[in-house]
Amino acid sequence: MYEDAERRDMGPLPYDFSGIALLYVEDEADARNMVSKMLAMNYPKLKLYAADNGAVGLELYREHEPEIVMTDINMPVMDGIRMSREIKAINPEARIIAVTAHSDTSYLLNAIEIGVHHYVLKPINYEELFSVIDKILEQIVLKRLVGEQNRRIIESERQLSSAQRIAHLGSWQLDLADGSMNWSEELYRICGLEPGSLVAHYQSFLDRFQPDDREVIKNAIRLAADNRQPVSAHFCRITRPDGSQRILRVEAELFLDGEGLPATMIGTSHDVTEIKQAEEQIRNLTDDLERRVIQRTSLLQASVRELESFSYFVSHDLRAPVARLEGFCRALAEDCSNCGTTQCSVYAERAERVVKQIKHIIDAFNNLTHYAKCKLVIEEVDLSAVVRNIATGFEQSEPERQVDFIIAERLLVRGDPGLLQIALEHLIGNAWKFTSKKERARIEFGCNDQEGTRIYFVRDNGAGFNMKYLDKLFKPFQTIHSPGEYSWNGTAIGLATVHSIILRHGGRIWAEGEVDKGATFCFTLEPNPEPGNFME
Amino acid sequence: MAESYIFLVEDNPDDAFLVSRIIGKVCPETIILARDGEEATEMLQKMADDASYRRIRLVLLDLKLPKINGIEVLQAIRSSDVLRSLPVAVLTSSDNDVDQERCRALGILDYIFKPLTTDRLEHVLSLNKDA
Repeated sequence: MYEDAERRDMGPLPYDFSGIALLYVEDEADARNMVSKMLAMNYPKLKLYAADNGAVGLELYREHEPEIVMTDINMPVMDGIRMSREIKAINPEARIIAVTAHSDTSYLLNAIEIGVHHYVLKPINYEELFSVIDKILEQIVLKRLVGEQNRRIIESERQLSSAQRIAHLGSWQLDLADGSMNWSEELYRICGLEPGSLVAHYQSFLDRFQPDDREVIKNAIRLAADNRQPVSAHFCRITRPDGSQRILRVEAELFLDGEGLPATMIGTSHDVTEIKQAEEQIRNLTDDLERRVIQRTSLLQASVRELESFSYFVSHDLRAPVARLEGFCRALAEDCSNCGTTQCSVYAERAERVVKQIKHIIDAFNNLTHYAKCKLVIEEVDLSAVVRNIATGFEQSEPERQVDFIIAERLLVRGDPGLLQIALEHLIGNAWKFTSKKERARIEFGCNDQEGTRIYFVRDNGAGFNMKYLDKLFKPFQTIHSPGEYSWNGTAIGLATVHSIILRHGGRIWAEGEVDKGATFCFTLEPNPEPGNFME
Repeated sequence: MAESYIFLVEDNPDDAFLVSRIIGKVCPETIILARDGEEATEMLQKMADDASYRRIRLVLLDLKLPKINGIEVLQAIRSSDVLRSLPVAVLTSSDNDVDQERCRALGILDYIFKPLTTDRLEHVLSLNKDA
């Protein structure tokens, strides 16, 4: 007995028995207690149930379903054979060890028939008993391992199959020696077939493809095998039995046999029809968009050209008669001052002033068209510094005026320095002009960020404007103040110029105002405006 | 002293009148008028042949002319062995930078925006005297 205990110390069995239970049925109390103790000592992790006859044993079995049943044969109420039969009926996998006296041997045939595969003779030789139990435990554990392994395999196969189905990715394996193949279920589905409905063979694989692509795939696989290389991705069309077409992305890896010869190819066939269709759609949309851009650009170029020829007309053809008119006005003024007709010379002078005004408008118009079509040179511009310089200029030009300039620091942008300077000159100039009747004028330049867009503003507390004239504000040759009211310069082109410059910088401009409260001009600029001009 | 000329190339009669009026106020020269570039080059060629070109005190040249434009006339003058050093002032009503550069490169006394004034003509004539 101690020997047996020592044997167990020699080393634990290499398996984990936890969770395994043993039902021991024996009517002799002494024997039952003794054996139970020995079992508990040798198999501390084994869950042990004991019963004193077959009926109690069967009840315990029903309750706990232990993996191992060890039973005496000859017992009152229900013998071991009957109980074993009942247990086997419940669970054919139950392992039953019959503990028999020599006198019970007549039962053995019965026992074997039932499926009792192990028996131990009484009086119990523990070494023998433990060796039987060890063997059974080992079988149980191994069976569990195999079961677990199978479960995992099934699980991962299911996972792979789901993944393939979700990804529309079929896989295949090709035996290069005989052309036999193995297709994943999804590959069948991709080909429009019931999984397993066709013998997977190289020829039936090739048959899926459209003739042109069939040759491509065939050559690619042959080349890959010859050169011991993987099959790089090929896009091929297949035809399903219902006639519909799919586009597959086929690629494969080559595996060599022990002698380094090409043996197997494992590949994937990815159904990319929808992706390709989407690509096609995007390409069409892009093409369409490009066509429209080209169309719009040529329309734009046409109107810029029209504008150009119009401004050429103004600057060349119109200037000549205006200059002529000016010449005659001067001649009139000069010659009439000689003849002494005062009224005449007054008219002549006034006519000359009108001519000057016309020339001024022509200049303004030409400037405006120039800003719309000139070439942009994009650099980093410090708007704060530009505004500061402009402010200083105005302050020096009218030192008697009290104007508080509030200028935000270091507002850096990318743009054309010359044009931005002109735009800000107009905006600050307007603010300066329309605050001229304020005792304490205030002109502010700053920015705030709204929904990721930086908005620059020039705000004053001057004359402001009525919002109902808002849409006239940025139009050339339109004014909302009467001539003379605010040293009107006769062209009304400043804000139109600013508008044009801001547009050239991919920005927007708008204004808010209230009569006698002031005006705020807001504008945005594209972070990285396109240099050059429309005509290029 | 023999008669001297101002050679005026101007197609527009009003402009021709206005310029003539100013010339009349400023200097005693006789005005020779060419009404387009072709006429101008032909007349100048004749004056080159009979050496009367020497009596041209100033060429006043409009740029926008029918047939042969002002710049071409100027080119013809500057490429002629005889006429090349004639004093020329350009008259124009357009502010075309390219034209102005080309004229200055060919050699002119002045580039005058119309209308011509007595002051400006006096100035040009004084430049010519210096030269």
